[in-house]
Amino acid sequence: MARRSLFGKESRMSQSAADRLAAVPETAPAVDPDDLLVRVARGDESAFAALYDALGATVFGMARRVIRDPARAEEVAQEVFLQVWQTAARFDPARGTAKSWVLTLAHRRAVDAVRHDQAATNRENSYDWSPGVDHDQVLETVTVRLEHEQVRRCLEGLTELQRESVNLAYYQGYTYAEVAQVLGANPATVKTRMRDGLVRLRDCMGVEVS
Amino acid sequence: MTHDLHTLAAPYALDALDPHERARFEGHLDQCAECRQELRGFHLTALRLAEAEADTPPPALRARLLSEVSATAQERPVVTTLAQRGRIRRAGPRLLVAASVLVAAGAIGGYVSEHNRADDLQADSARISAVMVAGDATMLDGKVRTGGTMRVVASPSHDAAVVMGSDLKQLDDGHVYQVWAMHDGVPRSLGVLGSGAGMLYAQDIAGSDAFAVTVEPDGGSPAPTTDPVAAMPA
Ligand SMILES: [Zn+2]
Repeated sequence: MARRSLFGKESRMSQSAADRLAAVPETAPAVDPDDLLVRVARGDESAFAALYDALGATVFGMARRVIRDPARAEEVAQEVFLQVWQTAARFDPARGTAKSWVLTLAHRRAVDAVRHDQAATNRENSYDWSPGVDHDQVLETVTVRLEHEQVRRCLEGLTELQRESVNLAYYQGYTYAEVAQVLGANPATVKTRMRDGLVRLRDCMGVEVS
Repeated sequence: MTHDLHTLAAPYALDALDPHERARFEGHLDQCAECRQELRGFHLTALRLAEAEADTPPPALRARLLSEVSATAQERPVVTTLAQRGRIRRAGPRLLVAASVLVAAGAIGGYVSEHNRADDLQADSARISAVMVAGDATMLDGKVRTGGTMRVVASPSHDAAVVMGSDLKQLDDGHVYQVWAMHDGVPRSLGVLGSGAGMLYAQDIAGSDAFAVTVEPDGGSPAPTTDPVAAMPA
């Protein structure tokens, strides 16, 4: 498959060359990711390095949260940034921020990875796979590991069903139909709770849409 | 029905749709400014959820990426810039020109649908360019009655065609352009196109004697329900 080799781990560059590149001091001052991404689209490798320095931790941390397995999360982060490099020309600053563009892409990939891995596991273990989710355990890991104060506070401001719907979808990669199943709720209700939850979070975090 | 699609904006922003609904909603997004606006805010909110989890990645990842990008080609930005204006400019008579437009196929459509379809498009772009540059490729151009043009590039050796619309009139919320291959008078759906500029890749076109476009309810119809706005004999 073409995409495999494109995103595979093998590199055509020697290890010493890679080390030299990695050793280049980080000269980039705080630069607007929007500008960086526009420069990346023109093939600017130093802008790519700066963009990675600006967003790498968010992409990797989010992926690890969703996927859990750090090695797999690292793979996904690598795929994401390669995709950013290849398709940077599609970014249109008039339609959204670079950060949002990269993270939307990254979350999609992370979620696809857990769903794909889960499906593979289910196929392999179809005889003993139990679809039951330990509901309490899920909610506990979801809430305990939130580090960011404001996000935590805003999530606490949601109703339980809103919070669980957002958490299970965004951090665990569940579809809303699966969320409904886990929570024993109506799918239409879950869709509504997701919307109410996001609206409340948006307002609580003071997200401004230009 | 349309109201139902609006309610998918939140699950879409959380990536909580299955692939079928995802595609349906993206089709709707191309047509619905309200959902696009709402989604901007939802995406920024989801971004905060991601940032709360930020964590230093292994240093080796940076080194690997930097060496990889220096050996990896990029899509050509100039093509995107043209298409971002909402239309594919006169693609010219040469198929190669059109191929370069389509290899950057993600350029067509809105910001959101664009990057979220990146995976599919990457998979498609190789097949698309194969058709576009095929030695036996033929090109059909037709006017669309309601505005804009439709182009079909077909390659018998690949048994496939690429259909693209340009400057198609914006349809209301609940309608899409649907493309059909006619075979002895029987239409077979090749898929739906967004307003403005859009494209699709279709297989199994052998024996088609014409291509047609109709306006159908959102999501498409199993068989045409209206008179064609464009028809091109193959
Ligand atoms: Zn809508």
